[in-house]
Amino acid sequence: MIDEREFLARTHLDQATLAVWVRESWICPDRTAPEPAYSEADLARAGLIHDLKHNMGVNDEGLDVILHLIDQMHGLRRALAEALASMKEHGRGP
Amino acid sequence: MKDPYEILGVAKTATPEEIRKAYRQLAKKLHPDLNPGDKRAEERFKEVASANDLLSDPDKRRRFDAGEIDASGAETAPPQGRYYREYAGQGGGPYESAGGYADYAESDDLFAELLRRSREQQREQMRRAPGADLHYELRVPFLDAVNGGVKTITLPQGGTLDVTIPSGVEDGQVLRLRGKGAPAPGEGPAGDALVQIVVEPHRFFTREGDDIHVELPVTIKEAALGGEVRAPTTTGGVMLRIPKGANAGDTLRLKGKGVKTRRGAGDQLVKLKVVMPKPPDAELDSFLAGWTPPAGYDPRKEM
Repeated sequence: MIDEREFLARTHLDQATLAVWVRESWICPDRTAPEPAYSEADLARAGLIHDLKHNMGVNDEGLDVILHLIDQMHGLRRALAEALASMKEHGRGP
Repeated sequence: MKDPYEILGVAKTATPEEIRKAYRQLAKKLHPDLNPGDKRAEERFKEVASANDLLSDPDKRRRFDAGEIDASGAETAPPQGRYYREYAGQGGGPYESAGGYADYAESDDLFAELLRRSREQQREQMRRAPGADLHYELRVPFLDAVNGGVKTITLPQGGTLDVTIPSGVEDGQVLRLRGKGAPAPGEGPAGDALVQIVVEPHRFFTREGDDIHVELPVTIKEAALGGEVRAPTTTGGVMLRIPKGANAGDTLRLKGKGVKTRRGAGDQLVKLKVVMPKPPDAELDSFLAGWTPPAGYDPRKEM
């Protein structure tokens, strides 16, 4: 896990921007410890948010929708992978 | 390396604004995180990003147009290290949402059935998962570590745990008590208790490997004339024969009186230490005052 200082350094974000991203729940650090902890996945997600905002001209409203759809897509992809794995395991359909 | 103008689909005469627009258009289509299932998306996205990197920088673009650098001059580092899809693809993160398929998962069709089976398997695995291992530290008196014994740990969460200490246990050794750890969350076996042994030092015994060392005080008479004295061992006192004319620092070996382990038994090494009476004994002093060392008796002649 990464602390906030390292996260800011590696994403080149300033603290105020990160605070907004966290408040919008675009980035959800782990709050188990007193200090928020970030994962490598959070780091890559910050990269994606940066690309969407700065390289594709997506505004904040649009960003919310896009992230939500991407999160759904990954849920769907996992469900699909699980279903396929279960089919292989049993060697046949139900 | 393809022509960057071709990659972005713009004319050689394109304005910076046209280039920016073309890049954005392609990035929106090709960004790997917007195409998580397309393995080639990353390659194509990098190509587009490189072309944009070259053509959006007026200086680089001028030098490219003048033929000073080729398109590979734009091959700088990729825009970022790893894409989000690589992490999200592992599943189960805080962001993942079932909003895209929950209706199918609740129906009676093939997909729902397969999904149910897979999740049942996961639940089954969780049900059978063992409990966690718990770590404890146990301080053991020196003699108990040498001879073995049973110690009882009072557990922080209540209850006690009997630990059988094997004879010859070493400082820092970890004993695994199978099934004495945390209970399983489901129906699996309990975890193990891992007990680290800390051996407390002894007042006069020390241990080196499987040998026990002890320093044994003797009187000047016992050292000079020899004789039997009682010496402590880790299993009780034994009679030790001191040879006539023993010196302080002489070491006597008690074979097999060291630490007994499965490897065998070490020895006990007894180092003699001559102790003069305290306060000084007038009789001994007056005897020694009248005593003349024989010729040739110079303990420092080698020095």
